Amino acid sequence: MYVIDYMTAPPVTVGPETAISEARAILRRRRFRHLPVAAPDNKLLGMVTDRDIRSAYPSTVEPYDGDEVERVDARPVAEIMSPGPASLGPGATIDDALLVLERRRVGAVPVLDGGGMIIGIFSIRDLIAAYRDLFGLGERGSALVSVRDDGRPRPLTRIVTALEKNGIHFSRVVRRRGGDGPDDIHVRVNTFNLRAVHTVLEEQGFRVAGPMEEGR
Amino acid sequence: MKRFSPFILLHHPRCAEHETGPDHPESPARAGAILRRLQDGPLAAAMTLMEAAPVPREWLEACHDPEYLMRFEESVLSGQTAIDHPDNQICPASYDAAMLAAGAGVMGVDLLEKDASMPVFCNIRPPGHHAERGCALGFCFINNAAVAARYWRRRHGRRVLVIDWDAHHGNGIQAAFEREAGVFYVSLHEHPTFSFPGTGYAEDLGLAEGKGATLNIPLPPGAGDDEFIEALTGTVAPAVEEFAPTAMVVAAGFDGHEADDMSGLCYSTALYGKLGVYLASWADRFCRGRILTVLEGGYHIDALAAGAEAYIAGLCLRPLLS
Repeated sequence: MYVIDYMTAPPVTVGPETAISEARAILRRRRFRHLPVAAPDNKLLGMVTDRDIRSAYPSTVEPYDGDEVERVDARPVAEIMSPGPASLGPGATIDDALLVLERRRVGAVPVLDGGGMIIGIFSIRDLIAAYRDLFGLGERGSALVSVRDDGRPRPLTRIVTALEKNGIHFSRVVRRRGGDGPDDIHVRVNTFNLRAVHTVLEEQGFRVAGPMEEGR
Repeated sequence: MKRFSPFILLHHPRCAEHETGPDHPESPARAGAILRRLQDGPLAAAMTLMEAAPVPREWLEACHDPEYLMRFEESVLSGQTAIDHPDNQICPASYDAAMLAAGAGVMGVDLLEKDASMPVFCNIRPPGHHAERGCALGFCFINNAAVAARYWRRRHGRRVLVIDWDAHHGNGIQAAFEREAGVFYVSLHEHPTFSFPGTGYAEDLGLAEGKGATLNIPLPPGAGDDEFIEALTGTVAPAVEEFAPTAMVVAAGFDGHEADDMSGLCYSTALYGKLGVYLASWADRFCRGRILTVLEGGYHIDALAAGAEAYIAGLCLRPLLS
């Protein structure tokens, strides 16, 4: 799962001399919030966000000089961008992206090639799409069945083997550490016949878990 | 005061010939169990039994791609045992049974357009609400409720409310109408995270011109009569009032019953009776009685038959018109 599969490419970029008013117009028109600032050779110089732009303009609740808006309009984005922003390399995984987005508290990260040229931009929205794909959320014809680890050896092998032996289609098996309690094992099955799924799992000694059970 | 209205049961013996193999939940016994229960019980005197006719090709193609219909027919003729997924078992009678199941809805619409004093229940199988435009899914091949609703909308110009209370979301009905403003699809089902087919989130409210004409109410596993009635009266009723339908199609699945292990919902048989009373009152208030019910799921044979009988009894209790 690599960011290059989910990023927006090629991204819209602006040069450092671009007027703030123009950058604002681009963000409004394209309905996004992050704009990489690039040199003429497409090397990353910084990032400018809708928040940076809003902060550059005078507050609407405080009195201001009428010419101030025009002065801000004409300033270059280089003056308000964040220089040297976080970025991801071409081989970055969606896990890398999650950590960067979470730790740097940003909403989008530019993706650079080996030479530092901007090849894309990866946002929280892209991250959601990637994890949605990974876990099969909303995949038509599927359901998530959860069981509790019964503490006996090789639970995942037993589940997978039993499902395959009984011809039950499934696409994902995920084990979630349960902390002090038993682990949860989530299986995305691709069948309507949940009765058969429950029977097979119960024959293996697993208890199918519901969301309202005690201990949650 | 209420009077008891007679009703029409549309069926066809060929629907029982759609064989799905041993241990398959969608078994031929389903429709027969409902019919026997009604014939042997007190509702028999109020029932007019009619045989369904096959669906006209034009209305079949109004909901399904011709390529898919040809593929379905060829799969049956060539002796395949399933189409698109092993869930969707077929046999030599499956295509004919599916044509009759969809035809029942169209026939029911015409009956109601002539005389809406008797509600129509289509006791048919295979079920339909998971079937998509170009593929079979979840035991469904032809989307019976969607075909009926589209026919009603286009041929008779009705504003159609499709209400689906099968335990599973009717992805195929939603897909058929999510861009249309004149057909309102309402579904109450077990939450899609835990339940097949994994669609029907509350966030899905329709698209483009159909925005606002889709209403999904996912219920948590374990939900019972109280949660259902609260959703029906608190959320669905005001939305129906606003939409003001002139015809109603009910996609009736009985697999939310507590005895049915194909869902985690826990409805009682009595709930289906109450549901019949509610829906009949909406049909009378908004649609001059025009209400068509199409059987969807329900896999515990006794609960299915008892639920269908209770629902029809509720449906037939109508306000006494002076």
